[in-house]
Amino acid sequence: MEIEIFKAEMAELLEVDSVELTDELSSFECWDSLTILSIIALAGEKYNVTLSAAEINKSHTVGGLKELIKLKMS
Amino acid sequence: MTTYNPFTLVGRNFLITGAASGIGRATSIVLSKLGAKLILCDLNESGLEITLNECGDGHIMLPIDLANSSSIKLKVNDAISKFGKLHGFVHLAGRSYIAPLKSVSEEKCKELFAINTYAALELAKVFTNRNVYIGEKGSIVFVSSVYGVVGSAANVAYAMSKSALHGITKSLAIELAGKGIRVNCVAPGFVKTNMLDTASGMFDANYAETLNKLHPLGIGEPEDVAYAIAYLLSDAAKWVTGSIMNIDGGFTAQ
Repeated sequence: MEIEIFKAEMAELLEVDSVELTDELSSFECWDSLTILSIIALAGEKYNVTLSAAEINKSHTVGGLKELIKLKMS
Repeated sequence: MTTYNPFTLVGRNFLITGAASGIGRATSIVLSKLGAKLILCDLNESGLEITLNECGDGHIMLPIDLANSSSIKLKVNDAISKFGKLHGFVHLAGRSYIAPLKSVSEEKCKELFAINTYAALELAKVFTNRNVYIGEKGSIVFVSSVYGVVGSAANVAYAMSKSALHGITKSLAIELAGKGIRVNCVAPGFVKTNMLDTASGMFDANYAETLNKLHPLGIGEPEDVAYAIAYLLSDAAKWVTGSIMNIDGGFTAQ
């Protein structure tokens, strides 16, 4: 997984110019159930990983989400 | 004395896609119990074998990738040469795609459209050929979704692929009436299948409760949809064509 590409994908979904790995997911203005579904769709399509809404909420930060996807890819 | 049963499918041959699981398997079993002989189609060969065993004798399996439209004609024609001509078909194979607008991808839309929608058209094209269609009492049943009828967030691509089936149903109902082929569509609500279990994992813990509330009669069983399909294939529906039948526990009545 290329970190900069992942950050750019997350920035696009979170509707901001850029994100940092330490950013709290729930702190973004557009954070809602549809954004969570968008992350599930992204993970499935780009990383071939199946995520649940509960797992995403538990990952808390952009970095946590990255680790979750990496773990599932391995 | 023969028993009165306008719903009988004895002596009728049908092809059914999506037969390896869920509503497709349930429909195959119901149709076989009503006397129909079936060509069971799916990509999942091991699932097809289970369905075939449950249907009993006289049916055949046709493993097929419906996303590859150019192979449909060849494979169906080959199956017909062993099985015999058809009275109709049911297109049940389909994929879901839960994605909000901002994450919809063109590539995924094309994949979805190929199986959910274009395969329906290609199957109709192949079926209506005189080498495949037996020539009388023809019936085609497409299976769409409540989300082809009403809106839902994160379902725009799926809705596109399913509502297109409604247009296909009505257009072909007119075009094929002269050949004695009826064309109808069933639009199911949520039923208890693996596809539903997979989708449920994407949502929060309240999703099951929310889903139940959308259906005044509760979530359906695969057989609830199968019975409607059986009706539309039978002579009991001989004056029914171009219809979209909502089989949804009251979902769209609200």
